[in-house]
Amino acid sequence: MKISGVATLNAPPAKVWAALNDPAVLVATIPGSERLEPTGPDSYRITVTAGVASIQGTYTGEVSLSDKHEPSSFVLTARGAGSPGTVSTTVQVTLVDAADGRTELSYDADAVIGGMIAGVGQRMLSSVAKKMAGQFFAAVDDVLTGAAIAGQPQEVALPGAGQPAAAAQPASYIAPRPAAADGQTFTRGVLVGAGVALAGVAVGALIGRRSRLCPNQS
Amino acid sequence: MSSMFGARVQRVEDDRLIRGHGAYLDDLGEDALVAAFVRSPHAHARILDIDVSGALDVPGLVAIYTYDDLPDKLAEPLPLLIPHPTLTHGRTPFPLARDEVNHVGEAIVMVVAADRYLAEDAADRIVVSYEPLPAVVGLDAARAADHLVHADVPGNLAARSTQERGDAAAAIASAPHVLELDLEIERSASTPLEGRGVLARWDDQAQRLRMWTSTQTSTGVRAAVAAKLDLALTDVDVITPDVGGGFGVKIVHPWPEEVLVPWAARLLQRPVKFTEDRREHFVASAHERAQLHHVTVGYDDDGRMVGLDVRFWHDNGAYVPYGLIVPIVTSTQLLGPYKPDAYRVEFDSLYTNTVLVTPYRGAGRPHGCFVMERTIDAIATALGLSRTVVRERNFIQPDEMPYDQGLIFQDGRPLIYDSGDYPALLAKLKDLVGWDDFAAFQENARQEGRTVGIGLACYVEGTGVGPYEGGHVIVETSGKVKVATGLTTQGQGHQTMLAQVVADELGVPFEDVEVVTGDTRRFGYAVGTFASRTAVMSGSAVALAARKARAKALRVAADALEASADDLEITNGIVQVKGDPDSGIGLGTVAVLSNPLRYAFDDAAKAATQFAGSSDDSKPPVAEDDEPGIEGRAYFSPVRSTFASGMHAAIVETDPETAEVTILRYCVVHDCGPLINPRIVEGQIHGGVAQGVGGALYERMAYDDSGQLANASFMDFLMPYVSEVPARIEIDHLETPSPLNPLGIKGAGEAGVIPGAAVLAAAIEDAEGIPVRSMPMSPSDLFELRRAYSQENS
Repeated sequence: MKISGVATLNAPPAKVWAALNDPAVLVATIPGSERLEPTGPDSYRITVTAGVASIQGTYTGEVSLSDKHEPSSFVLTARGAGSPGTVSTTVQVTLVDAADGRTELSYDADAVIGGMIAGVGQRMLSSVAKKMAGQFFAAVDDVLTGAAIAGQPQEVALPGAGQPAAAAQPASYIAPRPAAADGQTFTRGVLVGAGVALAGVAVGALIGRRSRLCPNQS
Repeated sequence: MSSMFGARVQRVEDDRLIRGHGAYLDDLGEDALVAAFVRSPHAHARILDIDVSGALDVPGLVAIYTYDDLPDKLAEPLPLLIPHPTLTHGRTPFPLARDEVNHVGEAIVMVVAADRYLAEDAADRIVVSYEPLPAVVGLDAARAADHLVHADVPGNLAARSTQERGDAAAAIASAPHVLELDLEIERSASTPLEGRGVLARWDDQAQRLRMWTSTQTSTGVRAAVAAKLDLALTDVDVITPDVGGGFGVKIVHPWPEEVLVPWAARLLQRPVKFTEDRREHFVASAHERAQLHHVTVGYDDDGRMVGLDVRFWHDNGAYVPYGLIVPIVTSTQLLGPYKPDAYRVEFDSLYTNTVLVTPYRGAGRPHGCFVMERTIDAIATALGLSRTVVRERNFIQPDEMPYDQGLIFQDGRPLIYDSGDYPALLAKLKDLVGWDDFAAFQENARQEGRTVGIGLACYVEGTGVGPYEGGHVIVETSGKVKVATGLTTQGQGHQTMLAQVVADELGVPFEDVEVVTGDTRRFGYAVGTFASRTAVMSGSAVALAARKARAKALRVAADALEASADDLEITNGIVQVKGDPDSGIGLGTVAVLSNPLRYAFDDAAKAATQFAGSSDDSKPPVAEDDEPGIEGRAYFSPVRSTFASGMHAAIVETDPETAEVTILRYCVVHDCGPLINPRIVEGQIHGGVAQGVGGALYERMAYDDSGQLANASFMDFLMPYVSEVPARIEIDHLETPSPLNPLGIKGAGEAGVIPGAAVLAAAIEDAEGIPVRSMPMSPSDLFELRRAYSQENS
């Protein structure tokens, strides 16, 4: 599944770059994310809960950034698995200064979705991935513009973060709200599963959509 | 008593099945533990690690098994059921994947738990780590062989096989005209409404295994399971309950689950059951149909084929447990009712990282028919001749029967057609569909702005393949007749059809005959239900068995009636002197007399006890060469297959805007020899046509580039509903008897599906005026075909 598109964020490239490299921002903005653990330079272990109807589950995976050319481009690689399926994806991301303190992002993702989610939800995958990308970037943009807060290291996790076991791992970042209670444009009934969530993560980790995003799925 | 053979008897099975009183696999074994499987989400991957620790706390969990737990023969690959000399690189899967998975859905871990919910919960918590490998998907990738499915199979080539009669290349080189065509058929699958399933009970006191499985061969499963579990054949019973459709996929055996479930039942000393769900059926059973063909045909000015060369590529999926049957059938049955002067066929059977490919109703014939019929139509178009005329000029003639095609068929025997009258069939079809009047209809439609077209397709189908089937008939002292044959039933109406045969042979009321199939306790020698063989094989076997029982009954009755057996007849269950109803005794009484008794258990039995004074005290009660009882056991083993034939015609309308194809009429003429039960034959044709329509217009297996089956559910896989199948399927029969069996019959089970893609391709081509070279044809496909054609021709 190939997805590409462009998006505009309301911050200059340097600030966008910093946000996308800040696990506290990521954990707060990735739809369904519960925790994010740095596992090395530019690599994280992530836990996401997502699902719809009967296809629900918790997914764990690894996300890493490479080929970084600050503040203009990088490559995001993500791989994850949960009981309903698997996802692996590579996303080429480019940031361009759009003047007026804004940044134009372009992205080109190639995702392989496997398992049950691939067999029963395929025709919904690309639209769901795009939707989650949109949610993600709306959230990132909100952080950038100060409309929302970032996530926190686990020691100061907000009530409802739902990850008591994380206390033993001070390097974890916990989402500032229950992962399942995203009250923005996110409609849980549209999600088809956590495999999709990770695809959305991979794509959405980089791209804000709102009404300005025009992805082309091929 | 009127003859039952040929009567339109209502199926005795239906009252039970339609009212929900059937017992399918999942209706059995309420007390059983339940198995679920962890299956590969990757089309091709190395297994790095299996971590079951997260599953261990799931309540109700009983056992988790991986490859490392499998002992002895279970740790070996599953059998390659049908070896072939050209199958040089046959590969079959392990029951649970060892270190590599080769298609999405391949079983890796078996979980046994108190119920399916808990088993799946536990399976969800098992973490398998993989190293994904490049997936080979589709015939182009398989042929390119940039990546290999099996590292030790060069070129992904399981087999390359060639057959030739005459010198096709020379014939084509000297032919007045030559055409080349590339023809493609997509994947589909049997998709029975009931998936696979197996239940096993181990009796530890008796050290015996009893299992039920939704199969097309109970004796095959028994032999395979006994071998894998090191059990004597006599210590394994395999019973086939009601089966909700097979269509070929259930002839494959043993499935991994069919050996793992009984193994676990023995190990755990508890009954264990596995019931496949729909998604599992899509990704873990078998598919069929995908082939690419390149045809080169040389023909003369009259359209007669002088040389035919077919090169094709068969996608056999990840493994080949069923050997090369599908491409062999394509390569031989492609010839249909025709006789090109020379013929050469060569195929490659290629591995891909997709579900394995085994016979699905038609089993290679729909592809062969599509290739041949498209070729004939292309010749007709090129020469400006009528499509029926070109066919007539290429037909084998009735006086040429038996006709030797000079090839080896799927049963390893010569491809010799035993009987048939193709010109008569075509004449019937033209009458039925009104072929000669169609041009006027088409012209009228055109003036109304409608696009309609007509097509026809002819096929010959090898049915009733060997090696044998057997039958057993016993007359009970009640006069009721119990019949058993070893092959299995998946809803075809075998109980009805076989009872008709026995009722006639024995001279008993149809209602008194009860037939059991697929139970090794009742009949242990059998092959299975496939290749339209039950009527021919088991029908003949039970007829021969009934004749033996009849002869015995006449002999015993002759003693009692003090008459010559030659003067007796059996009518309506009464043995009597011919033409003298008052003289008769019931068959039940004859059965009593045939079994000398010491103990009287009822009034009837008294007549056979030792002080009844009914026997000659100078002879032993049972003669040296005799047996007690009125019974017959017989086997039928024909020298080769018998060849049924048929022709279909369809009239379609295509929507100029939406490119939707609507079938206006669908006509079938069919020759399976004498019909035992026309109602059942027509039902078989109806079902076959429905599957043919599905394969031609709706069904495909949508694999993506990474080997994920994107439409693995009935949400996205379009099986035709009754709304997509022609409301009326017009049928006419021709009955040319086969000389190869005692009833003169030929098989009918697959007939309806074979020409589906071919006839609808022809009709769409006729409607659109655009060559059709690939099926199925969805509205999107037709839309694209129109666009490409108009671009090419503008």
